[in-house]
This record gives sequence, C-alpha cells and structure tokens, in this order.
Amino acid sequence: MSVRPAVLRRLMRELTELKTNPPEGIRVVTNEDNMLDVTGIIQGPEGTPYAGGYFKVKFNFTEEFPAAPPKCRLLTKIFHPNVSGAGEICVNTLKKDWKSSYGIGHILVTVKCLLIYPNPESALDEEAGKLLLENYESYCERAKLITSVHATPKVPPPEFATPSSSAAEASTTTPSSSAPTISTTIVHPPSLPTNPIVKALPSMTSPHPLQSSNGFSPVSATEKEKPQSKEKERHVSPSPLSTADSNVGEAVNVTTPGTTSAPAPAKAIKRAAGTTSATGVEKRKKALKRL
Amino acid sequence: MAANLPSAMDIDETAIDEGLYSRQLYVLGHEAMKRMAASNILIVGAQGLGVEIAKNVCLAGVKSVTIYDPEPVKIQDLSTQFFLREEDIGKSRAAATVLRLAELNAYVPVRDLGGKPGQEITVDMIQGFQVVVLCGVPIAKQLEVNDWTHKNGVHFIAAETRGLFGSAFNDFGPKFTCVDPTGEQPLSGMIVSVEKDNEGLVTTLDETRHGLEDGDFVTFTEVQGMDELNGCEPRKVSVKGPYTFTIGDTSNFGEYKRGGIFTQIKMPKIIEFKSLRESLNAPEYFVTDFAKWDRPATLHAGFQALSEFRVQNGRLPRPRNAQDASTLVALAKKLEQEVDEKIITELAYQASGDLSPIVAVMGGFVAQEVLKACSAKFHPMVQNMYFDSLESLPVTLPTEEDCQSVGSRYDGQVAVFGKAFQHKIANFREFLVGSGAIGCEMLKNWSMMGLGAGPKGVIHVTDLDTIEKSNLNRQFLFRAKDLGKFKAEVAAAAVANMNPDLKGHILSKQEPVGPDTENVYGDEFFDSIDGVTNALDNVKARQYMDQRCVFYLKPLLESGTLGTKGNTQVVVPHLTESYSSSQDPPEKETPSCTVKNFPNAIQHTIEWSRQEFDNLFVKPPQAVNSYLSEPNYLESALKYSGQQKEQLEQIVSFLVTDKPLTFEECIVWARLQFEEKFNHNIQQLLFSLPKDAVTSTGQPFWSGPKRAPDPLIFNSNDPQHLAFIVAAANLHAFNYGLRGETDPALFKKVADSVVVPEFTPKSGVKVQVNDNDPAPEAGGGDSGDVSDLAKKLPTPSSLAGYRLNPVEFEKDDDANHHIDFITAASNLRAMNYNIPIADRHTTKQIAGKIIPAIATTTSLVVGLVCLELYKLIDGKNKLEDFKNGFVNLALPFFGFSEPIAAQKNKYGTTDWTLWDRFEFNGNPTLKEIVDWFKKELNLEVGMVSQGVSMLWSSFIGKKKSEERLPMKFSKLVEHVSKKPIPPHVKHLIVEVMVADENDEDVEVPFLVVRI
Repeated sequence: MSVRPAVLRRLMRELTELKTNPPEGIRVVTNEDNMLDVTGIIQGPEGTPYAGGYFKVKFNFTEEFPAAPPKCRLLTKIFHPNVSGAGEICVNTLKKDWKSSYGIGHILVTVKCLLIYPNPESALDEEAGKLLLENYESYCERAKLITSVHATPKVPPPEFATPSSSAAEASTTTPSSSAPTISTTIVHPPSLPTNPIVKALPSMTSPHPLQSSNGFSPVSATEKEKPQSKEKERHVSPSPLSTADSNVGEAVNVTTPGTTSAPAPAKAIKRAAGTTSATGVEKRKKALKRL
Repeated sequence: MAANLPSAMDIDETAIDEGLYSRQLYVLGHEAMKRMAASNILIVGAQGLGVEIAKNVCLAGVKSVTIYDPEPVKIQDLSTQFFLREEDIGKSRAAATVLRLAELNAYVPVRDLGGKPGQEITVDMIQGFQVVVLCGVPIAKQLEVNDWTHKNGVHFIAAETRGLFGSAFNDFGPKFTCVDPTGEQPLSGMIVSVEKDNEGLVTTLDETRHGLEDGDFVTFTEVQGMDELNGCEPRKVSVKGPYTFTIGDTSNFGEYKRGGIFTQIKMPKIIEFKSLRESLNAPEYFVTDFAKWDRPATLHAGFQALSEFRVQNGRLPRPRNAQDASTLVALAKKLEQEVDEKIITELAYQASGDLSPIVAVMGGFVAQEVLKACSAKFHPMVQNMYFDSLESLPVTLPTEEDCQSVGSRYDGQVAVFGKAFQHKIANFREFLVGSGAIGCEMLKNWSMMGLGAGPKGVIHVTDLDTIEKSNLNRQFLFRAKDLGKFKAEVAAAAVANMNPDLKGHILSKQEPVGPDTENVYGDEFFDSIDGVTNALDNVKARQYMDQRCVFYLKPLLESGTLGTKGNTQVVVPHLTESYSSSQDPPEKETPSCTVKNFPNAIQHTIEWSRQEFDNLFVKPPQAVNSYLSEPNYLESALKYSGQQKEQLEQIVSFLVTDKPLTFEECIVWARLQFEEKFNHNIQQLLFSLPKDAVTSTGQPFWSGPKRAPDPLIFNSNDPQHLAFIVAAANLHAFNYGLRGETDPALFKKVADSVVVPEFTPKSGVKVQVNDNDPAPEAGGGDSGDVSDLAKKLPTPSSLAGYRLNPVEFEKDDDANHHIDFITAASNLRAMNYNIPIADRHTTKQIAGKIIPAIATTTSLVVGLVCLELYKLIDGKNKLEDFKNGFVNLALPFFGFSEPIAAQKNKYGTTDWTLWDRFEFNGNPTLKEIVDWFKKELNLEVGMVSQGVSMLWSSFIGKKKSEERLPMKFSKLVEHVSKKPIPPHVKHLIVEVMVADENDEDVEVPFLVVRI
C-alpha cells in the first residue's frame, strides 16, 4: 500500500468529513498509525433483511488510487446476490464505472444502496440470486438469518452512538438550506483541492439546529436523509445500481448515484436542492416497503 | 560467440524462438516475424546512424543483415558509433562493426559486403536484398540506387543525421501492401439489433463504445435471426454514433432476433510510393512536430543543399563557420526561395556534428521502417521525414573557436555544443534508476556523450534485477553469457567498455529505490547528484522517485514504452508539474460476477483461470505452511480473515484428507478438479439459474453479455481436457515435492479409471446456528464447526520441519506447467461458455500481464530523453524550452507538447506550488507547529499526518490531544506509528489540513520537520 502525498491529503480531508459528518447509517473506522487502513461500517437499512446488522467494508488503496478504485471487500458475512462468499462486491462503481472523483463515502453509500436494491441479474452468489428471483420471502428469511447470526452484535459499534433516527424522520420534510450541499458532498467526495464545495462545508455544519455540540456525534437528520431521497428521484426501477451486465433489457443505463453530476459540482448543488421534496421520501418509503 | 552462429540456411523459417522474442512477438505477431525471417537487409554506412539501425534490426530478427562501409575508422566516428573502439581506428568500419553486431542475436547472421576505401556502393552490389538502407549517402548516389530499387521491387530507405537534425526517406515501391496499418487489436463487441434496411443500422450493447471508424470492415458471429451476417464477407462500416453503425444493404436478410458479435476485419492497404526522383520535386512530408509546421520544406531544401555542398567542396560545412553557412543558404535558396535562413545556417553550423541522441531517435525510427518494409506490419512513413531538436542548443551559443575539432571521440558533440558545454556534460552527476531496456539505451547514449566522464562527473545506476533470456531481445548490453548476473553491473561494465573514459565514473548498485533504502539514497546521496533519470517499469517506483525528486528539488527525466508507443516527460523543479501530478487512466477491471459466473470473452476466462491457479497451487500450501510454522495461527490470523471455516477446511484437505503420496494420486486429484470446475460447478449454476430463467422484468436471464454455460463431459482423448490433467497433476505434485510426469498414456490411463462423484445440487445454504447467542463479531458463528475441523489436524510439532511447496508464478519458464495450466483451465472454461479458445501465447500475455516491447521504440524514446537532458545540463529554466514527447511508431506519429506548469495555489496572499514547503528546524513540539500556523498565518490546523500516520486531528479527543500537543515531533511520530525512527532519518515530511478564520479549508504546502 502506498499512495501519493496529494492522495493522502485528499484522504485526510475525506476521513475528517466522514468522521464529523457521516452519511446516514454509515461510519468509518480509522487507524491512527495507518490512514490507509480504513474500514467502513454500514448499518443494515431498515425495511431490508439486513436491518439490525452492521456490515464492515474493508478498503485497500493501491498506488493507482484514485485513478483506479480501491479494492473493497465485505468482512461481514452476508446473504446477498452481489456479494461472494469471500466478500467480493460486484458493483460497477468499484470496477468499470469508477471515476477518480469518487471516494470512500461514495463507495459506502453505493454499497448501502446495494443492500436496499440487490441486483440478481449480476449475481456473484447465484444461490442468493436464484432465491431473490424465485422466492422473495425465503430470500428475506435467509438473509435475515445470516444477518442475525453474523452481523448483529449485542451492542451496536461505538461509532453509531449517535442521535436517534426518529429525529431524522421528522426533519426530512423541513429542508434546511445547508442540507443539499452536504448531501452532494457525500455523494461526490472532493476530487480537487479547489472544489468550492469543500470550502463551503465546514461553515454549513455548525449553524444547523440539530448539530450536536461535542463535534463527535455527526449527522443531523436532514443530512442523513438526503442521499437516499436523491437517488430515489432518479432510480425508479427496482435495480438502480449499475452492477455488471445490468444494462440489458429494461433496467438499462441506470447510473450510480451522482455519476452524471460529478463533473459539475455547482450544478449538482442545484439539482440536489431541487429534490428536497416529500415525493422523494415517499418513493423511497414505498421502495423499502416492497423489500 | 560469432563462431557458433547458425548459417542462414540452418534457420527454420517457421520456428520462432518464443523465449527470446517473447515481448516483441506481442508487438509484431508471428506472421510479421515470419516474413521478417525471410528478409535480407543491406545497410550502407556504418557510422553512428548505420550501426543504430543495424543493431535494432538484428535484435528484431531478420534473415540476415549486411553492412557496407569500407572506409577506415576515424576517431570522430566514436562520437556515436558505439560498436567501435579506439583500437579499431584505421580498420574498415564495416569489418570492425560486424563481429559486435553479430553477437546481438544468434539467429541473425551479419556480413560485411567488403569493398575498398573510396569505393562507393553500386547497383550491382545491392542485388538479393529485400531492403536497402543508405545512411549519409550523397543524393546523386541515392538517386542511382533508388532508380533501380523502385523498378525492381526492392524497398529503399535513405537516412541522414547532421548535428541536431535528421532526415529519412522511404520508397517501398509503387504498390506496397500494408496488412495492418495500426497494429491495434481488431475491435469486437456484442450487438443488440440490426435493422432490415438498405443501410442496415447495427446497434451495439451499450456497455462500451464500439470504437469503429468510417471505412473499417466488420463481420459477425452468433447472430440469431439475420443468419446471413454470420461469417459474412467483410462489410464496410459507416459510423452513426458511439453505439451505432451501418453496414450497407440488409433488406433481403432474415429478421434479426437477438444476440450476435461484430468483429473488425483488418483490410490490407495499398500504398503508392513515389520514387526519390519524383519526391525531390513533389515531397510528401511526415510531420514530426506540429509546432514546426514550416520546417520540413526548409530542411528538404537544406539537406539537398548540404549534399550539393559536399559534392562542390569535398567536405561538409565547418562548425559555426559563417562563410560556409552563407554558401549553404545560397544553395538552399536556389532550391526553395522561402527557406528559413536561420535554420539553414544552423544546419550548416552543425553539419559536421554527430550526436548520439539524434542518432538514437532516427535509428530507432528507421529501423522500424525497415521492419515495416519486410513484414508489411504497421503503416510506413510516407514519405519524407525531417526532425530536429534545435531547442537542445545551449542558451549561450558556442563560438566557432569553441567548436573546433580537437581530435577526440567527442568531436561530433563538440562541433554542435562546443568544448565548454562538453565540459559541463562530462562533469554532470546523474542517477539512473533502472537498467532494463530504457536503462541500457540510456547508458549507451550517455557513454557516447561522455556524461559523467569528467573529474567531477559520475553516473549512478541501480537495478535489483538479474538478466533473463527474454531481456536479450532488446536490452542490447546483455549477452547470453550474462544470464543470471545483475543488470546494473553488466550494463555499467559494458558501457565503460564502449567509452573507457567512464571507467571509475559509473557506479552500479542493486538496492532498489524505496522507503526501505533511504539510508542508501538519502540526503547525502541526493546532495551529490544533479538529476535523476527514471528507467522503470512500474508506476509505484516512478511515483516514489518523483516524490524524492520533488523533496530534493532535482530535475527528473521520465519515459516509458508500450509496444510501438512511447512517451517522455521532463520534470523541472519550480517550473513544471511533477510526474505524479497527472495519472494515466488505469485499465478498467472486469466486475467479479462476470469473472465468477458470466464470462463472455477469453479475458474473463483467463482471469478466472489465473485466480484458480492461486487458489489451487499457491494459497493452500501457504496456509498449510503458516499453520505448521506460525504459533497460534488458527487462533490469531485465521480468526480475523472472515473466512475461517473455508480456510480451515482447505488446510485439513491439503494436509490430511487429500494429501497425495504418489504421482498417480495427483492425477486422480486433477481429474476430480476437472469434474468440480467444469462440470459440477456449471451444473450448480444452471441449477440456480436455469437456462429458461427470467429476470424481474421478464427478460430471459441468459441473454446479452450473459452466456448460458454447458458442463463438460471429461474425455481423455480431447487434448484440451488432457492438457488440464497433465498441468494440474504436475503442479499438485510440485506442492508435495513429488516428481512430475509428462507421458500422456499414464494420464489417460489413470484419469479414465477415476470414479467421479455424481452431481447433486446444493440447495439452500447451510447455516450452522449454535445454541449459544449469536456471536458478537463477524466470522465467529461457525466456532463449533471450526473446532471440530481443527481436531482433525495433526499438531504442528508432530510434523516438525514438514512444509509444502507453494508455487511461485513464473510466466517465462516453459517447462514449469504454469502457463500450461492457465491456458488449459481458461480454455476449458471458455468451452463451458462457448467462447473461442486462445492459444498459449495469447493466454500467456494476458495472464502474465506482459507489456509488449520492441527495441526500436526504446531507442527512439531514450534519444528524446537525452535531447531534454542537454537542456537540463545547460540549466534552462523556461517552460517553452522543454518538450514532452508522445510517439507511436506503428502509425507512425510524433507529438510534442510543452510540459504543464506547476499548478499555482494560494494561502493568504502567498502563491505556492508543489515545489514549496514549510521548514521547521530543531524537532519542535506539535503545539509549536500548530501555534506557528495560528500566529504567523492565522490558520487553524485541523489534522496533522506523517507518512500514513494520523498524528493529530480535531476529532481525536481531548485526552489524546493534550497528551500529544506538547510532544517533540520525533517522539510524537514514534508514539503514533509505534515504530522507532531509523537513525539515518534527519527530517520528516508532514502534511497538514488547515482552515482560515472563516473556517474554510486552505491548501498549504507540505512541512519538512527536521529532527
């Protein structure tokens, strides 16, 4: 493992951001004596068979990062069509759809989405893929079982000692001006040091009414909801993630969150702001109910 | 060695030594190399340019190379002719050269055409050659020879180098057929629809752009419905969009249903070359630098004028002599009124000069043209090429006096740059990192230039590698007798032999550059050098050297080749961006589900096969050895892998249940592997996802890029099947130290006798749930199972000293079964999925990630690097003085651009670039640094890191923060990294994240903290 100084700087920035303002249900664990030793923890999304579980994603950065994606592996056992027994994750964001502007946060959000919308069409675990296609209930049952056995600790990881999610539900309908910007940043980690969004960020966080004072409990409710509702706006099909081979048939050409707006951060802010409507949340809730 | 050469007649034209030519075969291909092996090449003129061309052609491999140059060797020839020695002075150039050329390649006989001094080449002497190359021959003689070759189907090239100028002319005859104009792999891709129309529109699967261009030709396979397209004659493409193209009339064809793959067909291209006589009046220029658009016309007249000057005066213009220069300008103006007089004047000034870098550029280029002429591979240069690097002249031009010949081997260089500059070259101190292909060429140029040969001069060269057979094809300083020796040592000795002035000035090392060798390549070392030249083959080491050069503020010359493509980059402190400022886009990886379940191309099956190689022959023996040698391996390492049970099962299998005692048992094992990989696993996949499965949207599951597989039924008479058994059994035997076998009869007999288990589908996932509560951490759920398994293992102490032999992947040993296994396994899997199989050679390249390479490109690229080195030695400091280069010899293409300026950043009102830094001396405390930023710059520090250690951050917590802020910096680093700082480390490179008073992030330079 070795990366260029400029990349380390970028990682420092992103890790700070993820520590202080993590996306909903996502945390990172860092290692002081090795910044490249990064593990993400994804809270199993409510309404999915993974709820209650915490899934660890191990990052491995190569010298080609960020031109090439980091190698990512799920350390926690999971029953999911797009995750192999060895923890490999089959999602295009980590392979051919990778963009150098993506970062740790983006990957974790993408994997979280994959938990909500598994894609049986590009199954790594064909058994899970088969079940998902043929018998949704027994897929859920099995996934829940595996989640409870392998992914559900007695106490949640300390990183998740944060405000309750009821606050989150409440505030989604009352968008604050700061929220869209923050969500955009989570989806598009800064690629360039001069990215204006990066500069805008710290000032945005403090005035928020729900921001906790100690600086350790990260997300305010609005921030938490944003990435989800935004994705939902664009991905109405049941398999929104562009896993490999998914562009056959109808569910073609669905991009991973944020790909289209990546090159133009300014635009992204506007678009994200525009999606702060109840409909996004509604759609998402429906989607979750389906699961 | 020359005595053992096979004669031309002994060579079987169909057999190509793949071990020797391995990397080049991936550039040229077997067909082109077979045509080369039937070609006899004549090179007239054995000074620097002639020998550079001959060297590259010999390495590439042709039927024979013949040299004509009866003139006696002069001391000045040694400026560029690396195969001549001082003791050769007075001998015939050709005679002195051929023996050393012949050492380069045992398959290429090199002959001296003889002749007497003063005797010019004549038409009757060039019969029997397929390619004739004239180097530095007057135009009248060129015309005489070309008149004959043009009529008689002989390929003609004339080339010349004068100082910083070079020219080349090609005439491959009135109708030359080029079979592959680009050298790129034929494009191919899946299609999703074809319209029935008089301009049938084809739509490709929108995974990747089709990449075709107007006028390309394609054919099709696997099309359902419109069956007429399958295997059709090549159809001409008209591009409509990135995912669409038309293929002409399809209105009478069947209705397209689904599926189909298009494949590009390379169509031969006929090129009509003009004769030299015609070309002199109507030249067709190949542009080498678009910034010098008007230069070819000037040089076209200039080189003719130079030839005329020689005829009139019996000599070339004298160095920087104004009178000779004005004569030349007048001669040139007669041919072309519009010539740029300044350029012609410089041409006159430098005409008697001879520079190794220019020779390398032209020699590499022309040698590739020779190969094009005899192989028909790649597009020839049409038709006149002129090149110059006037920018390499020093800012302060030398005087006429300074450029006078002194009767030394450097006269050719002195004529251009002057003695004062020669002195600078000689006392330069350069570090060459790598002594492979680029390194060898670099050292050749440097030895000719006399770089480092002065009292203060030195060349450091390092390379950790030893010499292998596949190196000999282009790393021309190495011979068969050097196999196994250290590259840097052999190369240093070889070039010190070429120019004895370098003896004692070229120091070779084996320590690779990296964080672990900073005691060798530390402050003292970098203080003792003026610059660094990379000759590396990997990005990691390049990035590391770049970082070091940025820190020590040393200029860096960077270059690389990929087949016929090459690039050069010059990095100048405080001026340009650095190597790491930009990144090449890496190759897109294949998604793992494609590799695991849905391969649709041979690359996918090869990648799978390469993984299987590790899974079968590398990882299990390693795990067994770890179990046997590492105390508490099961309790510690395994537990946190998330794969405890699987790994344990594997150890039990390899160490206990399936451990073979005889080779026959290895065959049985291989047979069972066959059944599992190519039959049962495929059946299992089809059980889960049957061929008629549909997706959530009702589409057939197995469609588009997902090809439904079929299980293979073992048949020992199928060579692909048996090849797998042979390779797998031998590798398994290797793991256990059992002697291998290769007799097919034995494999057949044993394999056919194996009773294989019936396939029973695995239905439902077995989940072992304990009565205990769910384990708190991942991977702990199988603990009951795990302890049962562990009981089956013998204790490590009962097997003291026993170890398995993990296989170490080595692609270049043809007898080790590695590539054989990967080829066989990949092809069997391809047969599962009905993908066309690949031969061993192709599989080897993909599995071994072999970078294609050929000597011609390296020679040229290194010449370009050395032209930049002249500028660095001169101390040039303007962006426009430097050039980054991009070449592709196949097309051919030359492109140059100014280096990109270092990006300017700003904190407060201060501009800074990557070359700036904050320096802190005397091992300050963390608090002192944080306070300094606050006090001096009004910036709040948010995070501090050193290397990969995060020393301090705003979210670290109060206790840790209070503990760390007062620590001396070195103490802090040791505290966090939990490692002592080695004694040779005198400074630490530190990065900080800071914000201004508005809480906005501000980019600042890195910190150097001296401890």
